[in-house]
Amino acid sequence: MSTPDITRPDPAPTGRVLRHKLIDRIYHWLMALSVLILMATAFLPILGWKFEWLDLHWITGVVLTLAVLFHIIRAVCWQDIWAMFLGGQDLRDITGGGKPGKYTPAQKLYHLGVSLLILAAIGTGLLMLLKIDTPWWRRDPYWFSDTQWGVIYAIHGFGAMALITMVMIHIYFALRPDEWRLTRSMFRGWMTSKEYLDHHDPKRWKAKEDA
Amino acid sequence: MQLFRHANSIYGGSDVIIGASYDLLLWFAAAGAAFILMHAVFKAVTKTGERASH
Repeated sequence: MSTPDITRPDPAPTGRVLRHKLIDRIYHWLMALSVLILMATAFLPILGWKFEWLDLHWITGVVLTLAVLFHIIRAVCWQDIWAMFLGGQDLRDITGGGKPGKYTPAQKLYHLGVSLLILAAIGTGLLMLLKIDTPWWRRDPYWFSDTQWGVIYAIHGFGAMALITMVMIHIYFALRPDEWRLTRSMFRGWMTSKEYLDHHDPKRWKAKEDA
Repeated sequence: MQLFRHANSIYGGSDVIIGASYDLLLWFAAAGAAFILMHAVFKAVTKTGERASH
């Protein structure tokens, strides 16, 4: 059976288009849970809530690393990775008010910022694993000098603290009523055809109907 | 406000960076709150303006 054409100018507003596949929603929520656990285990002890945070922190960090690795491979091999990159058309959208493709310029900019922060936290976090005993290796803190460790810890700390700002902004937009269609699509996968045509350019995001 | 945490090196007593300052925690949270507040106000004002023009 062929996929119905929902890119025509006036589709029936009762239809639904697929925005996020189940696998991508699972990734999103796994990443969200990981980041929240990592932030809680990092910052609550600093704020005075003392508990055994280290094992939960590094194990969650490894889970996040694997999830991000999966996401990168999936984005490169199976998804339209360019849909998330800022380009000249995005700048024209900002100045000219055109409809975006799947993602708005602001969403792409946010994704870029969060990606850099998380990759910085992951990269330095993996190096920091050298300083703890795990089931796979014994700690060996002599890979780097004191100064080098200081830089690694500083990058990890700045990245993690900047993520507080980014997470706050993300949750704020997710809760805004005018953005609710996007939040719903991250739970249920779809948005209505009307929302699709109202907010997106079908020529730039050729969405498929939600099965 | 300090950007970094410092300590004396165990090898020579010199002052070395050991990480980002925890003082910044509040500032990053405040930055998030400030953005949210400004955006919410902006949206509320522009929405009121749109209603008035109709």
